[in-house]
Amino acid sequence: MAGEFLILNIVIWIGLYLIVGLSLNIEYGFGGIPNFGRAFAVLMGAIAIGGIVNRILMVIFGVSGQIIDASGVVKTTMNDLIAQNPLIGIALLIFGLLIAAILGAVTGALFILPSAKLSEDYLAITLLAISEVVFMVSYYHPDLIGGYYGVTVPDVLRFIPGEQRLFVFALIIVGIALLVYYVVNRMLTSPYGRLLKAMRENDAVVRAYGKDIMNLRIRTVAVGSAIAALAGALYSMFSVNVIATNFSRVEWTFYPFLMILLGGLGNTRGVFVGVSAFVVARIFLITYKFEIVQALGLPFDPVWLEYILFGIVMLVILVYRPEGLLKEKPVMTSPIKKVLEKRKVKAKEVAAK
Amino acid sequence: MSVLEGAIIYSNLLVLLAIGLTMTYITTGVPNFAQGSFAVFGSYLALTLLRFYGIHPYLSIPIALIFGGVLGLVVYIGVLKPLISRGAQIVILMIATLAVDLILLGIMGAYSDYLGMVTKKSATRFIFTPYDFPVGFLSGIFVVSVLVIALILFGLYLLLYKTKFGVAMRASMENPDLAEIMGVNVETTRTVSWILSAGLAATAGVLLPFRQEIVPMTGGIIIVSIFASSIVGGLGSIFGALLGGYIVGMSESFVTFNLSEVFGPSVLVYSRVISLVVLVIMLILAPRGIVSIKWRRIKWLASFSS
Repeated sequence: MAGEFLILNIVIWIGLYLIVGLSLNIEYGFGGIPNFGRAFAVLMGAIAIGGIVNRILMVIFGVSGQIIDASGVVKTTMNDLIAQNPLIGIALLIFGLLIAAILGAVTGALFILPSAKLSEDYLAITLLAISEVVFMVSYYHPDLIGGYYGVTVPDVLRFIPGEQRLFVFALIIVGIALLVYYVVNRMLTSPYGRLLKAMRENDAVVRAYGKDIMNLRIRTVAVGSAIAALAGALYSMFSVNVIATNFSRVEWTFYPFLMILLGGLGNTRGVFVGVSAFVVARIFLITYKFEIVQALGLPFDPVWLEYILFGIVMLVILVYRPEGLLKEKPVMTSPIKKVLEKRKVKAKEVAAK
Repeated sequence: MSVLEGAIIYSNLLVLLAIGLTMTYITTGVPNFAQGSFAVFGSYLALTLLRFYGIHPYLSIPIALIFGGVLGLVVYIGVLKPLISRGAQIVILMIATLAVDLILLGIMGAYSDYLGMVTKKSATRFIFTPYDFPVGFLSGIFVVSVLVIALILFGLYLLLYKTKFGVAMRASMENPDLAEIMGVNVETTRTVSWILSAGLAATAGVLLPFRQEIVPMTGGIIIVSIFASSIVGGLGSIFGALLGGYIVGMSESFVTFNLSEVFGPSVLVYSRVISLVVLVIMLILAPRGIVSIKWRRIKWLASFSS
């Protein structure tokens, strides 16, 4: 049972981080926008579930009062309903994801506005600052998502008995992650993906071809943030509570950067490789943390060891393997394929002579 | 402590941090996301000296300056120099400083657990206010922070304007390629800027616990205010960082104080929101900072409207 639990845990986290990693790969890997505020979009997904969906349910059920207490009331009512009628649970899941994506897209587009025109260092600083401040406000302010206490969320899979719930949730998360993977892959092999790469390499050229860089950046961050918000929403619905401390900069900005740099920037398969390697390493580190502490005789909390370790891993990747495990490849469009075939034929002719 | 006094103390510390950040930005072109953790390093150094050797935090300022400098040297030689020599892009350098920040956070957290265990006294959150003493009708930290900032500004002035090294450093800040052609060793100026920057940050870190509670995560929280100060000053000008630090520090203190009179003391925790607002307004109005504003042109334009 313990082994099964470990595997399901790994699968769930690969799914969640795959979604975030893919979203970051659109923005940074392809578009060259260093979004140091990735955690912000994920937090928006959580706010969509804990703050917005909860409030909508409060209005429906006529529950009044503080969100912290009211969310508990809403949760019990809703859980009973879902236990009787699975369709309500599934509808709530889809509705929550939709709200999260919309909120992510809108806030992402809004918060890149002040820095969309500026160079990448200003962009990174501003996005990081916004992300930190919003994180802090949602931690201190009890009316948003319950501050220190957090809020509870209805269990959308209430109709499934205890032990199988984890399994089904893992399936749902993986299903959504695969869907996102497919859509992102299609999107990035389209002309839009190549436009993003062009912007990353040289935005002056893109501007010279009549494209509006600011507009392109805003659209890209909106799409990326909408996708990242899905992960935040799924995570909240999976853990049936929302608390701001779960959405820290380290876990949702730094680690995603680590994963996509490890896998290789600018290719979707690389994201999967990087995410899998990272999640397996991290889950083992978390699961066996007490054994590690005892074996090494560390006089401190193992979470600090995790930070030091992954920080060093990041530096090692940057210095020794900046291109990641899988290298970026050009997109094979049909004209490029034709040219390559012609070349092959010519090469054969030359060889025959 | 009056609001004005508190605001000046806070601004002084912010100026120290912002000047350091600006210096490394000018020489290496990378915004250092670990600047806040450099300060927390100074705080923990002072705490260690206090707990183990009973050295008063004020006396540990020179020690922090030296150890901070060593930290800056290690970060530059160990992390940034190899990356720069491999021709890494700015974003990669920024991610590297984020990684340094995380490593420092891990070390600081681990060390605070260890220190707390050894001294049997919590080190995960601490404050130095009980060790402060009044000087006349002013608080000790006010006098000390003003003295420190005056000394450091004077020292920087001497270093940058009165020595040959300073001329070389300013030259390589303004135009590194040209300076290199003229025989200036850009590598040295970069190294020195990192040493100075981390030294100043650690100094600010020694004084910071007199103003606010320190936890290992403090670095990640104050970084917003540091960046806001530097960006208000234009990120590329040391004088700008000086102005920016005071503008951001004062507005954070006074705006939150005035808001708290209206909305109650719960507003006080949101002082970073003010920094962010100042930062965003600055980016919209004058993205190159306060020193880039052409006041004469504004006056000239204003003369038409009257």
